[in-house]
Amino acid sequence: MTSRGVDVVIAGGGVVGHATAWELARRDIEVLIVDRHLPGRATSASAGGLWPVGEAVGLGCGVIYQATRTGSDSGDAVPASLPAVFRDFLVESNRRFPELAGELEDLTGVDIELDSGPGLLFLMQTARQQAVVDNIARGLPEGFVLEILSPEEVGELEPAVCREIVGGALLPGEDQVNPMMLAEAYKRAALVNGARFQNDRLVDEILRENDRVVGVRMGEETVACGHVVNAAGAWAGQLAATAGITLPVEPVRGQVVLTQALPPLIASCLSTSSCYLAQKRHGEILVGSTTEHVGFDTGVTEEGIRGLCRGAVGAVPALADVGVKRVWAGLRPGTPDEMPILGPVAGVDGYVNVAGGFRTGIVAAPLMARVTAQAIVGETPDVAIAPYRAERFEE
Amino acid sequence: MSTNPSTSTEPVGSEAPRLVIVGAGPAGMATAITLAERGLAVTVVDQNPHPGGQIYRYPAVTPKSPPTPDRGAALRQHLAEHSDRITVLTGHNVVDIHPGPRLGLCGPDGFRIVEADHLVMAPGAYEYVPPFPGWTLPGVMTPGAAQQLVKSQGVAPGRRVLLAGTGPFLLVVALALHEVGVQVVGIVDTLRRRDAFWQLPSLLSDGKLLKQGFDYVSGVRKAGIPLLTGHIVTRAEGHERLKQVVVAPCDGDWIPNHSRSRPIVVDTLCVGYGFVPRIDLAQLAGCELAPTNLPGGWIPVTDPWGQTSVPGVWAAGDGAGVAGAIVAELAGQLVGLGVASSCGVVSSSEAERSAEPVRERLRQLGRFRRGLDEMGSLRPGLSQLADESTVVCRCEEIRRAEVDAAVSAGSTTLRSLKVATRLGMGPCQGRMCQPACSRRLFDLGCNTPEEIGPPAFRPPLVPLTLGQLAGADEEPDDVEPAGAKPVAEPAP
Ligand SMILES: Cc1cc2nc3c(=O)[nH]c(=O)nc-3n(C[C@H](O)[C@H](O)[C@H](O)COP(=O)(O)OP(=O)(O)OC[C@H]3O[C@@H](n4cnc5c(N)ncnc54)[C@H](O)[C@@H]3O)c2cc1C
Ligand SMILES: Cc1cc2nc3c(=O)[nH]c(=O)nc-3n(C[C@H](O)[C@H](O)[C@H](O)COP(=O)(O)OP(=O)(O)OC[C@H]3O[C@@H](n4cnc5c(N)ncnc54)[C@H](O)[C@@H]3O)c2cc1C
Repeated sequence: MTSRGVDVVIAGGGVVGHATAWELARRDIEVLIVDRHLPGRATSASAGGLWPVGEAVGLGCGVIYQATRTGSDSGDAVPASLPAVFRDFLVESNRRFPELAGELEDLTGVDIELDSGPGLLFLMQTARQQAVVDNIARGLPEGFVLEILSPEEVGELEPAVCREIVGGALLPGEDQVNPMMLAEAYKRAALVNGARFQNDRLVDEILRENDRVVGVRMGEETVACGHVVNAAGAWAGQLAATAGITLPVEPVRGQVVLTQALPPLIASCLSTSSCYLAQKRHGEILVGSTTEHVGFDTGVTEEGIRGLCRGAVGAVPALADVGVKRVWAGLRPGTPDEMPILGPVAGVDGYVNVAGGFRTGIVAAPLMARVTAQAIVGETPDVAIAPYRAERFEE
Repeated sequence: MSTNPSTSTEPVGSEAPRLVIVGAGPAGMATAITLAERGLAVTVVDQNPHPGGQIYRYPAVTPKSPPTPDRGAALRQHLAEHSDRITVLTGHNVVDIHPGPRLGLCGPDGFRIVEADHLVMAPGAYEYVPPFPGWTLPGVMTPGAAQQLVKSQGVAPGRRVLLAGTGPFLLVVALALHEVGVQVVGIVDTLRRRDAFWQLPSLLSDGKLLKQGFDYVSGVRKAGIPLLTGHIVTRAEGHERLKQVVVAPCDGDWIPNHSRSRPIVVDTLCVGYGFVPRIDLAQLAGCELAPTNLPGGWIPVTDPWGQTSVPGVWAAGDGAGVAGAIVAELAGQLVGLGVASSCGVVSSSEAERSAEPVRERLRQLGRFRRGLDEMGSLRPGLSQLADESTVVCRCEEIRRAEVDAAVSAGSTTLRSLKVATRLGMGPCQGRMCQPACSRRLFDLGCNTPEEIGPPAFRPPLVPLTLGQLAGADEEPDDVEPAGAKPVAEPAP
């Protein structure tokens, strides 16, 4: 059975797919989103941290990643930085959130729970970390703020934090949202603008005729379309393969611990080399997150959860007696260079990537979606897409 | 995977299989006894302070008249007789299951991991209450909660009590309340009289099923408690506390005839529409689940011996489909034989032989249960009681209108509804709201039950502290602030 065609089929309804749908629909493009929530959907697991500089210089989830990769568990892991061009991409995407929050709420009534606190506060536990942070601070260009705080200043800002630290590194303006509500708001905004949504269906295959994409197959049904947007998160590589495209997207598991709702305890988003903590709008504290290459396994492990809990109690001792409401794991769409994969692919007309959000897919989603939509309709993109094309992996 | 030394099953020989049963109700106790009788050592884990499960809860919670069935005492006695082989860990919760299976266990001494070669899940069921206007008012509770108040705490739930819903459990609780002097103003059952009568024996607990059923009916009659069949409570009303309920006659689909509704003044409403199997453990263990049209909708798929789709993981009792205490006990015996045969201590022909009388008994009981599944299934009228502003998810205070809005924005599965609304994200993990919301999705014509899906339970099944999960070995060495604790209890 072949249905009436559409301009664009978006395969995957995480935050990135929904955001892209809205950016296209508001440009009067006829869009069909096809999604099935697979276990491990990153958007449902995410911390929702908007930590552009923090992640770019490695003081967010990145330092945990680094600690895992180097096998350091002494709290002495030091971060690795992402390219400056991507840092600026993230900063630009993050800058749009306040306005976006208002716009989406007006359109859909959904509150994305954008909460601003003092910022992202990295707790330095060793002298070596302090030295690395000093170095990072020196490396930041004009206009970027990274405040180095003494243990006393950290204590004043965050009385619940453990005092046995060397100091803190504060990145103001690095806040948080509710990632699920962000995705939901984008989805509803897309629907308001005329997009259609096919829930609980998988795109099984991207259909090609020679060097063109002509449609998608969902079970028995095929839908003809001019463009297919691959927004399939950690599954993007599998989907691309159905069109004969190699896409180096790998699931990177992140385990998360969520506490019961608490009265306000921490105002900043806290990070250390073993975990980060963010108190969400409803009062729960989210403790994230492991970074593991274990394929599509979405289970939690004793070791993973124990490590996060130890890290959290180490950072905020009062948490020892706080109840854990839930633990779970999600799959980040990981890429070899930790940057997203955007735009068309040479030799396959009509195929477009918006994939590889990895550990910054929430903060990056607004801009990833925008430049993707702009590429499809032929507008000049807000930022250059070239550094993010899949071709960079060909050697 | 790391091996935790603190496994609890005491090996009887170097090759002894490690057997763990979760749930010490009739199903779990019968499994344990069957295994012990075949020479196997087993650990039974239960969250309650005593073995017995729901029905044989100790101290007894069943009413004095008709006479308390002593089946529970008999089972407990058997457990005790096999104390060399059966270790009972009461006051312990299974909070997670990892592949293996490895169980996350939380007890008074904290959290630990236990490995098993065979895991038998016998977690029972819980009461089902669908959302209706006013159901969150103080004064509205489940019959089971009322029974608990009376029998274990000696507290009357109210002065004027109405019981409503469906099934014989309403009669049991009505009598229990009556005996402690509570004024039971009536029992409102949605089933028509004929159906209600046939459902009676099925959930009761003694061999003389029908007789016992009649005893309950005549007990209720003697107590002068009005039994109103073919009626439904459509709303509970009051400011800050229940003042009255509105009752209307209903048809076979449980659709109320509002034009004939009337108020009944009460301060307490006990409402329950049957039982939902607890499938949280089965789901965490990765067992395949199948939809049914009974409350809750999902049960683990098992073979004739009760083994699930995950080898070495078994299911017995109400948790594998609500069928009452006697069936639970028989199912426990079958699982026991199946596990014993898997462990090689009985041959498969011997297992077949021993199973035959059990299966024959189940077939006989099946006669009483004829049509029960049909009757116990929820009718459409029930999910239509809630209005726009009725809270459907109590934990997160989500109203029907919010669910409907998410549904029309394309969330047509439980999974997508959850991320769109926070439905089921609270402490109960959707145990309360999932059955009704699945039904709502079904009624709105979104999807088949298979597509709507089962609720997704996440560990821990009961809250633990971060400190417990962080592990005891990292805690400071028993440093206790001076004077924080009284030195010692004076010797008695
Ligand atoms: C634990 C954790 C914490 C994180 N914390 C942060 C953070 O603090 N800040 C931040 O910016 N980022 C964070 N991230 C990363 C961020 O969540 C992800 O990068 C982002 O959510 C990716 O969104 P997505 O839409 O690409 O993928 P997903 O959210 O995974 O969505 C993909 C969707 O497509 C569906 N799908 C897959 N294949 C198909 C198919 N063939 N057909 C139809 N549907 C399909 C999937 O089931 C899913 O619903 C975190 C991630 C994790 C796991
Ligand atoms: C509130 C209530 C009251 C009832 N009252 C009556 C009655 O008066 N008369 C009657 O005939 N029938 C009654 N029933 C029905 C009857 O209890 C069941 O048919 C029967 O008990 C089923 O036996 P079972 O062994 O399957 O489960 P249960 O008897 O329910 O035993 C299961 C046990 O497992 C424990 N458990 C579950 N999960 C975990 C976990 N994760 N960790 C540790 N322990 C766990 C539970 O606490 C429970 O003790 C009642 C049911 C309920 C829910």
